Amino acid sequence: MDAWWQCEVPYPFVPQEILNATDSVRASLPNRYCDPKVAADLFEEVIDEFLLCDDLGLNVLAVEHHAGINSLLGANPVLVGILARQTRQVRILSLGTLISLRKDPVRVAEEYATADVISRGRLEIGFVKSGGSEMASNNANPVNNIERYWEAIDLIKKALSHHDGPFSWEGKHFTHRHVNIWPRPWQQPHPRMWSATGDPETAAEVGRRGLVHVLVLRGPDGTKRAYAAHRKARAEAGLPKVTTDNFAYAAFVYVGDTDEEGLRVGSKLLWFLHTSLKSAPQYSKFLPGNAPPEAAPQVYRTAPRPGAGTGAMTAQQNAARLTSISAEQAMAQGILFAGNPDSVYKQVMEFYDKVGGFGHLSLVGRSGFMTHAESEKSIRLFSKEVLPRLREIKPVTAE
Amino acid sequence: MSTGHIVGGIDLEVLRRGAGRPVLVLHGMQPVDPRAPFLEMLGRHAEIIAPSHPGFGRSARPKDFETVYDLVHFYLEFLDSLPHEKLTLMGFSFGGWLAAELAVKCRHRLDGLVLVDAFGIKVSDRETPDILDVFNTSPQEVERRSWHDPETWTPDLDSLSDEELVIRARSWEALCLYGWNPYMYNPQLKRWLRRITVPTLVVWGASDRIVKPAYGREYSALISGSRFELIERAGHHPEIEQAAAFVDTVVKFLTR
Repeated sequence: MDAWWQCEVPYPFVPQEILNATDSVRASLPNRYCDPKVAADLFEEVIDEFLLCDDLGLNVLAVEHHAGINSLLGANPVLVGILARQTRQVRILSLGTLISLRKDPVRVAEEYATADVISRGRLEIGFVKSGGSEMASNNANPVNNIERYWEAIDLIKKALSHHDGPFSWEGKHFTHRHVNIWPRPWQQPHPRMWSATGDPETAAEVGRRGLVHVLVLRGPDGTKRAYAAHRKARAEAGLPKVTTDNFAYAAFVYVGDTDEEGLRVGSKLLWFLHTSLKSAPQYSKFLPGNAPPEAAPQVYRTAPRPGAGTGAMTAQQNAARLTSISAEQAMAQGILFAGNPDSVYKQVMEFYDKVGGFGHLSLVGRSGFMTHAESEKSIRLFSKEVLPRLREIKPVTAE
Repeated sequence: MSTGHIVGGIDLEVLRRGAGRPVLVLHGMQPVDPRAPFLEMLGRHAEIIAPSHPGFGRSARPKDFETVYDLVHFYLEFLDSLPHEKLTLMGFSFGGWLAAELAVKCRHRLDGLVLVDAFGIKVSDRETPDILDVFNTSPQEVERRSWHDPETWTPDLDSLSDEELVIRARSWEALCLYGWNPYMYNPQLKRWLRRITVPTLVVWGASDRIVKPAYGREYSALISGSRFELIERAGHHPEIEQAAAFVDTVVKFLTR
């Protein structure tokens, strides 16, 4: 198993009374509450943490989110470029430029090819569907978001792997008549690609395309279902079976010297769920395209009637459930792995067994008010005490 | 309410009421509610034909049919399918945009145009939105700005049936697909409004804060010979909030 350190660079320093008074901590909270000097300090700490990971052999992962306290990484390619140059040995996963929000996938391919070359072939490219408040922040039509997602992936893949002079793309959402990027990527035909998704339809397509499939904070049941949809779609398409290396899981992780310390400091990560998910109804339950119209009886009413709608949990309902979760519940649900190194290893492996195995663990390792020193301690303990044991777990063909 | 009206291969829900001069009604952000009293009142003077746009209500929307360009050409086909030599075209809100586009293109089939709190053009400067962004504004604020008397008229979603909620969500999704960007207007339309030569009535709710009366006056000024009428104590939906005054104004225009 491989492991990846991620920090979304949250900005928790907005006064609580402001957060209480606003209907959304994303998209519409004025940026006057973001002090650039504080933001600079945060970036410096977080980039230093990524460099510590590089020293210790723990891969790094850069996300992208827009216009909210949950993350200052609206410009993911900037961080990826820094990591490409400043790290020296680990692999770098961009998870990722939010491609359905960007007008020009060819430009995204240029950025990725450049970062791959600068890092001499250490880049991995992840795709995330985006949604919610980011549709407003980026003027992106939420209704056909998923179509843009797949078309952008197709175009990026072709731009990275086509080396015979300009080609033309006249798709439904993107047109670019003269695509010929320089440099081409270091890795051939292109860096490995990932996709983050939980819903069964997208999971099936991720399977057919053979992308590394990452589930974020989904817990064992949702994760197992998504992996199963991935495998089933491959089988139905007559494609070869994949190994556990095709599957990844992202959870909050904190390693302390003791279980008490691990849990106490690790609990700080839940700020992400408790505080940074608050989103106004127009960016969530009433966002067109967010859930199929058939789900409206469940979603639109203030209190859903029993038995109404389709029965599946919507993204909002999942978010609402997470907003009030306790550390103990988060641990029980496989969202938080925290404790001393032995405990964390044990928790990861219990989860591994529940979902039928995965080849990549992503550590959402710093969030909320966790300090730089606390983060570095967890990075060191994880890298030295947990990672070597996880590395022993070799990919197996998933059934 | 009836379905089964097939136009251009699309199974269309069409509401029909009344008798008299034919009026093709193009609905706004949601389909016309068959229980709306203005239908009965207007139906005493006019034959009302009120389709739900493809993707709204129970009307089908073919795959990749997702632009106002598609809607306008679809309604040109719909007009071709109607037996009437000439009709009055009436459009509410988003449907007012469609009505203006159609009036630019097929004035020969029309004997009148009624625009009611209509979208479709850009009037103010680039940093002043003319039309409230209903997708990025809180639902309460959208309702507050939609009605003269929001307390009376804000719909209670909890009281709607499952089917009504599904239709509402379906229409909301279609509206977003068609109108997201540029938001609820065609940058080119303003230039061509001069081609509208049929008698035109522009009706506006005096309290509309989705799109204000000043926008309506500007719209009217761009259509030569058009008349502008304010409906007092009404917001974005004068046909709902002041049905009698609204119908009175429209009937005066129809029987001019």
